[in-house]
Amino acid sequence: MLRLPRFALERPRTVAEAVALLADPDREALLVAGGTDLLPNMKHGLFEPDVLVSLEDVDELRAVEVDADGWLSIGAMTTLADVAADERVVARAPALAQAVSLISGPQLRTMGTLGGNVMLDTRCQWYNQTYFWRKSLGFCLKKDGTVCHVVAGGRKCVAAASNDSAPALMSLSALVDVEGPEGRRTLPVDDLWLADGIWNKKLGKGEVLVRVRVPPQAAGHRGAYGKLRDRGSIDFPLLGVAARLDVGDDGAVADADLVAVALAARPVRVRGARERLVGARPGEASFREAVEAVADEAHRRLTPLENVPGDAEYRAAMVPVYVRRTLLAAAEGAGPVHHL
Amino acid sequence: MRRMRSLRLKVNGDEVEVGAPDHWTLLEVLRYRLGLIGSKQGCDKGDCGACTVLVDGAPVLSCLTLAALAEGREVTTIEGLMPAHVARGGAGADPVQDAFDRCGALQCGFCQPGMMLSARALLDRTPFPTREEIQQALAGNLCRCTGYTQIFQAVEQVAAEAAGIEPAEPTWATYREAGQQPSPRARGVKGEDA
Amino acid sequence: MAARDNHGTGAPWDDAFRVVGQPLRKVDGLAKATGQALYADDVQLPGMLHAKILRSPHAHARIVSIDASAALALPGVHAVITGADLPIRYGVIPWTPDENALAVDKVRFVGDEVAAVAAVDEDTANAALDAIEVEYEPLHAFLDPREALATPEPQIHADIRGKPVRGNVSKHVELEFGDVEAALAGADLVLEGEYSFHGSTHAPIEPHCAVAQVSADGLLTLWSSTQITHYVHRALAQVLELAPERIRVIQPCLGGAFGGKSDPFALEFCVALLAQRTGRPVKMLWTREEVFYAHRGRHPMQMQYRCGAKSNGRITGVDARILIDGGSYSSFGLVTTYYSGQLLTGPYDFPSYRFDSTRVFTNKPPCGPKRGHGSVQPRFAFEVQFDEVAERLGIDPIEIRRVNFQGDDTQTVNGQRITSNGFLRCLDLVEEASGWKQRRGQLPYGRGLGVAGSMYISGTNYPVYPNDMPQAGIQLKLDRSGVVTVFTGGNDIGQGSNTVVRSIVAEELGVAYDHVRVVAADTDLCPVDLGAYSSRITFMVGNATIDACRKLRHQIVTALAEAWEVDPRRIRLMEGRAFDVEDPDRTVPTREAFQVAEARFDTLGSTGSYNTPQLGGDYRGGTIGASPAYSFTAHVVEVDVDVETGIVRVPAAWCAHDCGRALNPTLVAGQIEGSTYMGLAEALLEEHGVNRFGLHRGPSLLDYRMPTSLDVGDIHAMIVESVDPEGPYGAKEAGEGPLHGSIPALANAIHDAIGVRLRHLPFTPGTVLRALRDQGGKGEGAAVGSTAAATSKREAR
Repeated sequence: MLRLPRFALERPRTVAEAVALLADPDREALLVAGGTDLLPNMKHGLFEPDVLVSLEDVDELRAVEVDADGWLSIGAMTTLADVAADERVVARAPALAQAVSLISGPQLRTMGTLGGNVMLDTRCQWYNQTYFWRKSLGFCLKKDGTVCHVVAGGRKCVAAASNDSAPALMSLSALVDVEGPEGRRTLPVDDLWLADGIWNKKLGKGEVLVRVRVPPQAAGHRGAYGKLRDRGSIDFPLLGVAARLDVGDDGAVADADLVAVALAARPVRVRGARERLVGARPGEASFREAVEAVADEAHRRLTPLENVPGDAEYRAAMVPVYVRRTLLAAAEGAGPVHHL
Repeated sequence: MRRMRSLRLKVNGDEVEVGAPDHWTLLEVLRYRLGLIGSKQGCDKGDCGACTVLVDGAPVLSCLTLAALAEGREVTTIEGLMPAHVARGGAGADPVQDAFDRCGALQCGFCQPGMMLSARALLDRTPFPTREEIQQALAGNLCRCTGYTQIFQAVEQVAAEAAGIEPAEPTWATYREAGQQPSPRARGVKGEDA
Repeated sequence: MAARDNHGTGAPWDDAFRVVGQPLRKVDGLAKATGQALYADDVQLPGMLHAKILRSPHAHARIVSIDASAALALPGVHAVITGADLPIRYGVIPWTPDENALAVDKVRFVGDEVAAVAAVDEDTANAALDAIEVEYEPLHAFLDPREALATPEPQIHADIRGKPVRGNVSKHVELEFGDVEAALAGADLVLEGEYSFHGSTHAPIEPHCAVAQVSADGLLTLWSSTQITHYVHRALAQVLELAPERIRVIQPCLGGAFGGKSDPFALEFCVALLAQRTGRPVKMLWTREEVFYAHRGRHPMQMQYRCGAKSNGRITGVDARILIDGGSYSSFGLVTTYYSGQLLTGPYDFPSYRFDSTRVFTNKPPCGPKRGHGSVQPRFAFEVQFDEVAERLGIDPIEIRRVNFQGDDTQTVNGQRITSNGFLRCLDLVEEASGWKQRRGQLPYGRGLGVAGSMYISGTNYPVYPNDMPQAGIQLKLDRSGVVTVFTGGNDIGQGSNTVVRSIVAEELGVAYDHVRVVAADTDLCPVDLGAYSSRITFMVGNATIDACRKLRHQIVTALAEAWEVDPRRIRLMEGRAFDVEDPDRTVPTREAFQVAEARFDTLGSTGSYNTPQLGGDYRGGTIGASPAYSFTAHVVEVDVDVETGIVRVPAAWCAHDCGRALNPTLVAGQIEGSTYMGLAEALLEEHGVNRFGLHRGPSLLDYRMPTSLDVGDIHAMIVESVDPEGPYGAKEAGEGPLHGSIPALANAIHDAIGVRLRHLPFTPGTVLRALRDQGGKGEGAAVGSTAAATSKREAR
């Protein structure tokens, strides 16, 4: 059996204890939430921490709440299954509920957490492999090597952000609360990401993601998520698209957002989508035209690389299709967009 | 860094104490410390579902669960289903196990402990699932032998029997008679036995 | 014991079967259901060491040196072995022994085995692998079979069994039956096309595992996840230079195989030698990645076909040229090369036929026999081309298959004897069940129906090593308790062969179904059977079982008749009782009947066996693919193509399979469904290939996209029972035949749905979209001398 490397397990009961464990200068420590991403990666020799700090016993990280101002707060350790099934999430953040419902398979959604998915390591066909496999070709830029096998001569890692929750949260203008040695801070989820496949988050080493907060959405909020993958379950996205449409009282789009994932090192917002969609009326030709224009724009701007497995040319061809279908699903209050 | 933990686990209703290093998964402890070899290992890393066990009644992958983190939880393995069924007054195997056997869902049988636990958990929360719900609930358990058809039929049969209705007939039974064809021998052509 | 006994195809007692034909439980079903069944990795022995293998990081390289001293020095490491310790070459086909358990002098693919370590636990063994120093001198690696064919140097294998290899050609077979050129010249329509089939692998959920133990007096016991206990036994004796009587091989419960466990593998030799060296039991469990390297999966093939037909649809001739990518070793490749041509000559009558098949070595994981060995690829090409013939001639695709039906009790153009043949009934059933007549042509654009037919062998009369002994043997033991124990060398790999044996015994001896115990696949306890390959076990072991039962039955009936002083013809053994048919009140449980017989004849036991009759064409290779009986299959597949995404869904598939008498319809249906699923899976989702470094692209069950429960449609299995004069009660195979047609039926359905002929597998969404985009262009299947105009579905609608 593929073995985990040795480590010591710590089980703090509070976030502060976890932060303190991470700050220990003598021992390299990593956080583990559901373990569904980190443990396979450790079996592949991608991480070899001295200590794993499990957040399993930190009860404060599990709550789902809606506060008096209408903010939806989801603790980082809430399981994906609980997020997807939570009626408050379904009602207030449909794109998020849809995205999370399509992550991997049933067991992994029971084990995996929202925080873990937000913090998911980037993925690449040259990286998510065993130590033997990676060593056979001299490793790669992201881990243990100096060469990029995706982009000839590439100096910057292009491993793909592959977390379905990320574009959904970005489309919802969510905030994340993090706690580190300097205390708690809040940042927009947009600002969490770096365009660096080696480590695509701006969080410091000792910081713990505490919760995700979704602001109250407009009355006419509609959202959807579209996911391209080979199988109906288990697979990571080959392309993920999250759409938000806020439809005003007049029936016209008042605000909109469109974010894609599984393309580059960070989730990518489709620029110009908002401008094209605002003012269009779902159900009318203007909306359909706007959607087509956004799909074309996305097709021009978003260029899948051969980072995740499969056919990059095909994924490129699917960008406008999934953008269009996801926007239309959002407008109809439907979704997720999935091939099943 | 080398640390052996003494774990108190609750497995199939029993409290057991077992020593294991921190980097051991629940699967390894079940199989190689407790001898509960019914939980299988197929893919090493959470891709196939053969190692599925129930933790507090929900299917999880024991190959990605650190053994230490199962402390304080109720773990059910495939070995636990029949005793639990008997303890509830039943006889023999759990109805899920029995239906899998009757319906032919157990070919090589290697994925099926995990599959049956996923099915058991589904039926515990949804006693009369639709085909779509069955497909969704089993979507984390790969089977290579059956093409899933007889698995779906087995789960549907458990539900049908619980509801006291006749389970649907498999296609082969519907066309059984139509498929009978006399042999060349019966028609008196050559190829007769010596 | 001869070619075929004379036990007939009917029920052993009066007219009706009591057990056979019933959808009964499997002999091991509840053990598997409750977690009690023991598989290889469940074998835990006191003091057992764990072994690991060091593998080559190069696709092709010379080994300059190996230094294992640092590994041996690690605490907890008990032994390290390399190719020098196991220099004798082996191969499942004795004519092509080109494998070493551990590489000698050179490595031939990324993942080739180089050294093995036994240590106190897996972590220590892994650490030891890291400490072994190997110096390699890389050689040019062939990843493209065309390049390997055209380039004789460097050779991947210089010689095999002392004979020099020609360049990188593993095997070449060219056979012609009748005058193909003349037949094509006389055709009204000749189609010519290129087709390709990609690599795919078995991916049983259980990874390979072996455990060896050596007793103080030197007896070696090996538990292994193998489907060929007997050949592993022979190979161990040969490679370890150990007398065969010093070796016992046991196959525990097997977690799937599909042909992927039908070669002797490195781990079996390594654990055996390591157990000998250390005096301790040794286990090796392969990781999923290692299972992908072990491979032996479907051979990629590049195929050119020409098919000539008269305007009434009758085929005049078929001509095939096939390049087979064998990967780095021979495995079953000699047979594969023959099968690629020999198994296409039914269910249609070919007046003339020629094939020219060449298997080449490449520096990739070795290919071998995956379910439907060697014949799935040509079947795909031919049935797609045949569909196009029907289209060009304006004949319904099911009708053209009827028109060309070869019939039963006949002979194929290449000299194979056909006994029963239920293909027409298969076509009738899929036509009816799929609603073909009402629905085909009426479905909206994007949806379609396709059909294909096929045939397969029920074992072959070619045992992999020449000998005059039976292919299958059975031993029976009767107990005073009423239990019958059957000993069979047959490998139950999940297909249910032990259940078949149990059913036959219960039927023949009239004992209750659950009074029959089956002991299988243990070379110390069981008579030889050659193993689970070529769909041979039900047929051959089944016949052997009847043979053994009839001998015992005779004794029991004789003893009882004497005791009761009645004519033996009045005795019946049924459903757990013996009785006098003319005086049914005179009855005892079979247990007591056994006791009467034991008192009369002493301890009761018997043997039975089966060997094939002399079969096959009178030419070199004429026996390869010659089977005592052939199964026949028809598929209809329905597709739903999303023309915007190229994603092909299969909402339903119908498969009617002629397996002769269905000994257990639940098991037969399981084989039909599993086969159809597996074919559709490899056509749509799966690909086993290497990247530009020669590394497997994604050796995991995440990246190898096996369908989940959400990715399958309704698979409707239908059973045609053309009771065969040669099979046990008329049974034929069911485990491999029903895979073949699923793939071309899918391709033909896609054509029906969107008007695009897909000739190159796999049908990924990208491939489908590109084909749609190129739709206007001239296809490869351009007609030569066509007499009928093609109409695409688009035009037709």
